Formats: sequence, C-alpha cells, structure tokens
Amino acid sequence: MQAIPSEERAAHEELQPIHHEPKSFFFKYLWSLDHKMIGRQFLWAGLGFLLVGGLLAMMIRWQWAFPGKPVPVLGSIFLRSQGGAIGPATYMTIFTMHGLIMIFFAITPVLIGAFGNFLLPLQIGARDMAFPWLNALSFWTFALSLVFVILSLFGELGAAGAGWTTYPPLSTNVGTPGSGQTWMVAAVFVTGVSTIMGGINYVTTVIRHRAPGMTWMRLPLATWGLWLTAILNVLFVPVLGSAALLLLLDRLFGTQFFIAGATASVSGGGDPILFQHLFWIFGHPEVYILILPAWGIVSDLLSFFSRKPANWYRGTVYAMIAVCVLSAMVYGHHMFLTGFTPLLGQSFMLLTLIISVPAELLFLNWLRTVWQGSIRLTTPMLFSLGMLFVFGMGGLTGLYLGATATDIYLHDTMFVVGHFHLTMAAASFVASLAAIYFWFPKMFGRRMNETLGKVHFWITLVCLVTVFSGQLLAGYSGQSRRLYDPYQYTFLKHLLGVNRVASYAAFLLLFAQFIFIYNFIRSLIAGEKAESNPWQVSTLEWFTASPPPYHNYDRIPTVLRGPHEFADPEVRRRLGRDFIGQAEELPEAMPPAVASAG
Amino acid sequence: MTLLLAPLPEKGIGLPHDASLHGWRIDALINETSVYVGLLFVIMVAWVVLACLRHGPRHEARFDHGTSTRSIAVGLCIAGAIFFVVDGPLFVNSLILARDVFGNFAKVEADPKSVRIEITAHQWAWVARYAGPDGKFNTPDDIVTFNDVVVPEGTPILFQLVSTDVIHSFNIPNMRAKIDAVPGMVNRVWFEAKETGEFDIACAQHCGLNHYKMKATLTVLPRPDWEKWAAEASANSARDYDPDDREAHWGWDWSEHARI
Repeated sequence: MQAIPSEERAAHEELQPIHHEPKSFFFKYLWSLDHKMIGRQFLWAGLGFLLVGGLLAMMIRWQWAFPGKPVPVLGSIFLRSQGGAIGPATYMTIFTMHGLIMIFFAITPVLIGAFGNFLLPLQIGARDMAFPWLNALSFWTFALSLVFVILSLFGELGAAGAGWTTYPPLSTNVGTPGSGQTWMVAAVFVTGVSTIMGGINYVTTVIRHRAPGMTWMRLPLATWGLWLTAILNVLFVPVLGSAALLLLLDRLFGTQFFIAGATASVSGGGDPILFQHLFWIFGHPEVYILILPAWGIVSDLLSFFSRKPANWYRGTVYAMIAVCVLSAMVYGHHMFLTGFTPLLGQSFMLLTLIISVPAELLFLNWLRTVWQGSIRLTTPMLFSLGMLFVFGMGGLTGLYLGATATDIYLHDTMFVVGHFHLTMAAASFVASLAAIYFWFPKMFGRRMNETLGKVHFWITLVCLVTVFSGQLLAGYSGQSRRLYDPYQYTFLKHLLGVNRVASYAAFLLLFAQFIFIYNFIRSLIAGEKAESNPWQVSTLEWFTASPPPYHNYDRIPTVLRGPHEFADPEVRRRLGRDFIGQAEELPEAMPPAVASAG
Repeated sequence: MTLLLAPLPEKGIGLPHDASLHGWRIDALINETSVYVGLLFVIMVAWVVLACLRHGPRHEARFDHGTSTRSIAVGLCIAGAIFFVVDGPLFVNSLILARDVFGNFAKVEADPKSVRIEITAHQWAWVARYAGPDGKFNTPDDIVTFNDVVVPEGTPILFQLVSTDVIHSFNIPNMRAKIDAVPGMVNRVWFEAKETGEFDIACAQHCGLNHYKMKATLTVLPRPDWEKWAAEASANSARDYDPDDREAHWGWDWSEHARI
C-alpha cells in the first residue's frame, strides 16, 4: 500500500472546505448547491415525467389492442373532443412525445441527473461537485426544458408528431407545421444545454475531487459508468444541439438545411440525410449514455449481493471504455436503408458487430461474479439480475439489426422497437429501480419494504418481458413501427392477438408501478430507520451517516483499497465480517497479501 | 389471365410468406442467428438460476478477483469464440449477399428481361412509371399506375425511387425488399418474384398523418399475362396522353448508376 502523504489530504481539505448548510427555503430546496438535493430534484422531476411517458405508452398499447376504440379513463380526460378515441393525428403525437419524454426527460434525469449527482461526489469521497453553482444551473435549465415540453403538449395543432427521431423534412414545416413540434425541438436543445453543463461537472469532479488514495482502478464501477456517460454527453450532445438548432432555423426562419426536392410540392437544396448523420452521431452514443450508468450500477450490486469481489474489475472498466469509443463509430447501422454506398454500410456493420466483444466480456464478468458467491436475493439484487435478463434479450436481438442483410427485412419493424426498448427502456428502467431500492436508505435515511419490493420486481419483470417480446414477435412477423392501425395490412391482420396480449401485460405493468409508488411514499414517511451501512457493503458512501450530512464527510476519507473487498479470509479473521470498507483500516498492521489485493 | 384475389392473410407468428427468389437467404440468416442467440440466452439464464440455487446465502463466497492470467484468458477466449461463431457468419453472409444478390445491380441491369420501374413516393401514395415500348421514361407511351404495381413472375424487377415531400420507405415484406425514398436522392432496389399473386406494399418510414394507410398492391402476373397487360396499358396511356398536363410529366432519364 502506498502511503498517502498528509499534505495531499490537507490539500483536499483546503480544496473542499466545509460550507454551512443554508437555512432558508429558497437556498435549501430551490437554488440548492448541494449535489444531494439537486439529485433529488432530478429524481422527482424524472419520476414525474416517467409517469407521463408511461401513460402515453399505455395509450399506444391501447390503440394496438383496440384500434379506434375509446380509451378508458385517459380518453375521457384528454381526448374528449374525439369521443375518447385516438385519431391518427393524435396517435403520431402520442408516440413522438412518449419517445422524447422517456429518453430526455425521464431516464436521463433519473439515471444521470439523480444518481449521477447523488453518487459521484459520495463515491469518490468528495464534499460536493467541482462546480456546485453550475450544477444548480443545470437543474434549472432542465426545468426550463420541461416547461417547453408542457407547452408542446398543449401546442397549436397538437404536440410534436415527427417521431422521436424527428427526421426532416417531416419535422420541418413541410410535415409538421404546428407549434408543438417547434417547442419540442427547442426543449431537446435546452435539455441538451443542461446535460452538457452536468456532464462537464461530472467529468471534472471525478478527475479533480477524488479522495486521497482513490485511484482510477479503485473507483466503484457505478462511478465509472456515470463518468464515462458524462464524457459521452459532453462529446455528443453538442452534435444533437447543432442538429436541433439547424432544424429550428428551418422551421422558424425559412432556411433549408434539411429540406430537399426538385418537384413542385417541396423545393429546396438541403439534405435530409445530413440530419440523420447528425442525429445518429449523437443517437447511438445516447443508447450507451443511457445504459452505461446501468451497467456500472449493476456491476457493483452483483458483487455486493454475491458477497464476492467483482470478477476482473479492470476487464469491466476496459470493456466499458471500449464500448464508449466504439459507440461513436457505429451509428451508420441506423441508416442502412437510406441509400448508403455498400462499403459505408459494411464498414458500419463490422464496427457494430465488434461492439459485441466488450459486451460479451461484461456479461462474462457479471456471470462469473455471481458464480461461487453467497447470493442474497434482496430487492436490489433481484432487479440487477433482472437487468441481466432484459439486457441479454435486448443485446442479442441487436445482432440481427447490425448486419446489413438481415436488417433489410427487419429495419423499421417492431423488432427494432422491441430491441431498443429491451436495452434502453427495460434495462435502464430495471437498473434505475435497482438503484432506487439500493440507495434509498442513503438518500432518505429510511428503508423500503422488501416484500413489496419483491412483489414489484416479479410483476415488473414478467410484464416487461411479455410486452417487449410481443414487440419482437410482431416485428419478426412484419409489423412496421409507428402504424396507427397495423391491421390495415392483410399480412398483419393476424397479429391482433399477440399485440393484445402484450398490451394487457403493459397495463398490468403500469399497475405494478403503483405498488412501487406506494412503497416509496410509505417508506419515505414511515419506513424503518436505516443505519449508515444497512447492506453491509464497502464503498465510501456507506461509511457516512444516512442521509449524509450537508458536507458528506466530516473528514475527507483516505482510500486504501478497491470497492469490492468481500469474502477476504484475512478480513473475516480480524474484523469478524465478510467485507471491509474502502477507507477502513484493518486492525493491526496490514499483511502484504491484503494490501496488494486493492 | 389468372384470376387474382386480394393479398392472402398470414397465419401464426413468423416471417411472412416469402414469394421472392432470394428472400430465403435473409430468412436463413435470421433463423440461423436465432439458434445461436437462443442458445446463448438459455445458457446465461441457466447459469444465473444455477448460481442462485447452489451459491445462496449458506454457500461461502470465494475470495477471487478473477484476475489470474488463466481466468482472464478464458474470458477473452469465450468472447472471441462467440464473436467468430455468431457475429462472423452474419458479417460474412451479409457481405456475400450484398455482392452476389441484393446489391448486385450490375447483373440485373445486364439481364435483357429485367423490368425497370420508377417510383415517386409522396404523402401518401406510391406512383409507379414504366418506360413503355420505347424504353424511355417521361414519354407518351409510359404506363403510370397509382398505388398499383404490376410485375411479371420470374423476372428481375428493378426500381428507382424518389420522394417529393418527406422520407418514405418502400417496403414489400413478402419480397424481403425495402429501401428509403428520400427527397433529393434516387435510391434503388430489386427483387424477383417466384410466384404469382397479390401482395402488400407498405410505407416503413413514419411520413405523417396517413402513414399507416400509405399502402399499394403488388400484383405478380405470369410473364405472358404481364406482357399483355403492359401492351394494353401502354396503348391506353399513349391514347390518353395530354401534352399540357405538366403535373403528369415526371420521370427521369434512367441511369444505371443514378446514385448520389
């Protein structure tokens, strides 16, 4: 073990002095500079919009199961002018808003905004983010984008309707002239600004504020995932921002960046495909932006609840880095059918398939972590294993879409929808739930009910798998995505049954979330008080109070070892338990065997 | 002339009926991949279930960081093996199929029997144009059809597509053919039908309000019937040709390398 010079610790104390907790309501709850409070702000906003996005999903599912029939409950509230039923114009705004809200205003704030903020400083032994003021600005910029989303929902001619991918010319005034589309493009731009501010903060914080001894190879994997995500955000969200800005210019000021056509109805010298390049240069890394935090969190939780060190920690880190690097080079597989030259398509195919190698290494590491462990099937562990299940399905179905030949048939079908929902939606959602169940005691100082958590898990997993398998099967049978009424086509008529089963599962999925909401609120008010380390795990945040004080650590910890030190016989002999904290000193002089294990 | 009915409904979950000469190649690749993927998934789930059953709370966890050279080598070998066995065939077959079949336009263009069709997609219809006996597009003998594409059996059919407004995608699931129609670009696709009948043509790219109704019918006729149909249709077009109807005069010089 290398000794930590006392000057280094002193330098950290000087860099991050203890500030007094503000007492006024405004500075404590609204313009808070505390990363834990900002994390909670993102959590509430994200969970709220998750519910909105979820209700929109239910309406899509209703339309596929009972096309044109009045929607129960929601229809009589929101669609009264149409007799409670969804019309084609409403339908296209519903699936567009569902996609955009879920990606940018639900999963991103929950996984990255809430857990990124809450965890990063705590897990690296810092007192706050590097730029607390920027952090607050990031949240309130995000809040502004939420206002734009709401304005879009009530926009003239309806909300945005060009699909979440917002392809021009459909997304220009040629296809969607309403203000709803404009507000939504603006909302994506503004939330992008917020994400970039957050990203810069996360990247800097992890580089600058790691506690003494917290080397890169001692970071918890959740921190690695969140940090890599922040890097991808800083690199690629600006590309999305530029695409959104050019699109806004096309919509509002009559430019023609993306409008093309030499015929009478539409004329312009722009290039619609340019938008797709910009969108997917961002869009493919975005898939990993949403899943890297989930991978990191699950990698840690699998080790924690197997009571065993994570298998080949460095391999997991390298695999995540490799995925990040590759993520920027594979986006063309979204565009195989746009008329690419074959060589370009084939190059993207090769790079896409290569991503499966680091992904396989991650899976192997997870599987080998649980093997020979001492598995505790707590609620967070169940959700972590659930993520393996749904991400396994999602990842494997990606193979068909990455190859140019099989993509000819499957492109733009529900198979694609099923695939990316299993990866981005189901896996991120399940991992978010694992994270909420796991860090709830640290965030709020109380414990959630385990029995309700397990009931919630099983219904959620079964329903998610049914819903998205149903999509995979419908797509395999030829159903295109985004069809208001698939049964217009003779070759799709027989798919009503499978779509209906998937829809019933979706409705049940929604109801299961009320178990979670009940459990969450009840635990918040009356849950059993949590001690500082209820899960008996080793990362830094579990060695401060639950919830942590305003300044996180009275004394900045000195880190001595990696994040997954479980089942060490030496620790068991000296401490009488199966784990040791990252900054915890072993009583007596440390023998060399333990020191080298870090 | 063969009596034709509406497209036949499909039964059960699975790939729709393949009426094309080469569609089975895509189907085979999909199904082969499904075997590997299914196997990997079953192994993964079995592994986790077995771990939960055997290595529960009463099992003593092994203190192992998985960092021995042997352990790392095993991991890398498994990942490499999966890549070569599962991804490898997908990659190689995609290259072969692009070269020999789906991207082999040179061969189709050289075939004197090939039928060339120009498609203009717009919100929300497919308009098809055949060159007629003179072999030139945008001339009085062109056949122009609306949401109705008629092609001969056992003949390569070569399409060039444009769009006049937003992006559409020309999708014939029963022929395993699909390509985007993009404003400002000419894209191309080809297939050969191996049986007669009627099939759905669908739009695969969200193109606005009536995207779901942007549907056309593909009718495959025996070659002699098709030639009879084409001759009649072309004669009708020539007779009804109106030189002043500028809207109807679209079509471009067919260039075999019309790619941007």
